[in-house]
Amino acid sequence: MAEAAIQTAPRTDIDPREFDGPAFQKNPFDLYKRLRDHHPVYHDRFHNRWILSRYWDIDTAFQDNGSFDRAQYRPGGPYKFGTNHVFGPNILEYGNSNEHRRLRNIVAGQFVGQKLDDFIPMIHQICEEVVDRLKGSDTFELVTQFSSQVPIRVISNMLGLPREDEDTFVGWYHALIAGLGFGGEHLARGVAARNEMWAYLDPIIDARTGKDGEDLLSRICNAELAGSRMTKEEVKGFVALLLAAGGDTTDKAISNMWYHLMYTRPDQLDAVIADPDLWQNVFTEMMRYDAVVHTQLRYTTREVVMHDQVIPERAGVILYLGSGNRDERVFRNPDTFDIQRDDLHMGRENRSGRYKDGKPGHLGFGIGQHFCMGYAMARQESQIACMKLLQLYGRPAPRDATHPGITSPNIDSGGFRSPSELWLRKA
Amino acid sequence: MAKVRIDLDTCIRAGECYYNHPELFRMNDNGEPTLLARELDTPELIRHAREAAVVCPASAIIVEE
Repeated sequence: MAEAAIQTAPRTDIDPREFDGPAFQKNPFDLYKRLRDHHPVYHDRFHNRWILSRYWDIDTAFQDNGSFDRAQYRPGGPYKFGTNHVFGPNILEYGNSNEHRRLRNIVAGQFVGQKLDDFIPMIHQICEEVVDRLKGSDTFELVTQFSSQVPIRVISNMLGLPREDEDTFVGWYHALIAGLGFGGEHLARGVAARNEMWAYLDPIIDARTGKDGEDLLSRICNAELAGSRMTKEEVKGFVALLLAAGGDTTDKAISNMWYHLMYTRPDQLDAVIADPDLWQNVFTEMMRYDAVVHTQLRYTTREVVMHDQVIPERAGVILYLGSGNRDERVFRNPDTFDIQRDDLHMGRENRSGRYKDGKPGHLGFGIGQHFCMGYAMARQESQIACMKLLQLYGRPAPRDATHPGITSPNIDSGGFRSPSELWLRKA
Repeated sequence: MAKVRIDLDTCIRAGECYYNHPELFRMNDNGEPTLLARELDTPELIRHAREAAVVCPASAIIVEE
């Protein structure tokens, strides 16, 4: 689209304190638009960082690994790896290093293709069990009774943990997630839950190392790539990460999909009921319109010039995926949720962000070196969960005429966007 | 000595080859991979080609040994 055709927001200066206010957490999109239109490279001196908000600028940063690194951490650096993080040592801390490539290559293959297909019948079963418990109720609360139940039970089963331990696992999950961003007490509880979970996993990992097993835990204990395996600490860090990156995000994705079909575009639910393949479009458009994750952080490894601005070396750069996804330079009527839109690649995502149909993809999984490893899993699981709920519960309707809307604890610290409650009833 | 080629008709532009093995593959402006070498004359390059062929979700990388 030609830039001349774009309706721009009124030109206003940005007060960086706006990023900390409740208005931004509830509706970041107006500020995103002011950034895109008038401050495509915004130097936020108050928070000591830079902000990119346009689709193709974000794409550029994702693709340019020579200039933008995922992490500041260096193996052999001044602090002990993973000591003060809920996840312990994990792949996210490795940045663009060879260590990251090694770990990613070992595990990435476990979440796509045939290996993912092997888990599909189990995902169906878990979803059926969770819906079974709701079937008798005329109303239910989707977030606690459905969305947050499915992914974590799926992960526990993927890992091949005993089913009687599933509820314990769900408990650790909630403590870990709570430990991710709300200060000391929660961090301490999160780390305690992590340690309990690790003590539980220790003997299981020992028992499965060196043995053939089809469960995910056996596979990651024994997966070998060019003679390299994950250490025991890396396996445990990975399991913890899986709970948040694979559990919490999918959990919130499912809630967001239902939120939009209940409140944003209830008129499009009929089409989905008529053609369940459209769940794929619901997932994709949700990931564009208001994805769970709105930000990714990068650090410059050298001076970068964009839009005539110089971003210095070693600067923190926030990529507002949530803004790039609403970029009117790329998507028509970007603020309209539309599962039938023809200017968005609707199918499975590519790590490259490039598609044969020539359409742009959503940015919700990131792009490139650090593209979400569980993308195929998240998509499949969300679609199956939504489909099962519709099939087995029947058509739901919102219990309340209005909803306070999607919000996030703190977008800039990685706060995931999702409704905190979503009450539904039988339609 | 081994040779590697890419079938661009089958390629879905997933990018797994060039992100995992930048030693041998580069992304062009369309998101398609291009080869930095066709004739693989070191064990390292042969290893990258073989791994990329395994990882490619479209099986579009062919290694001829």
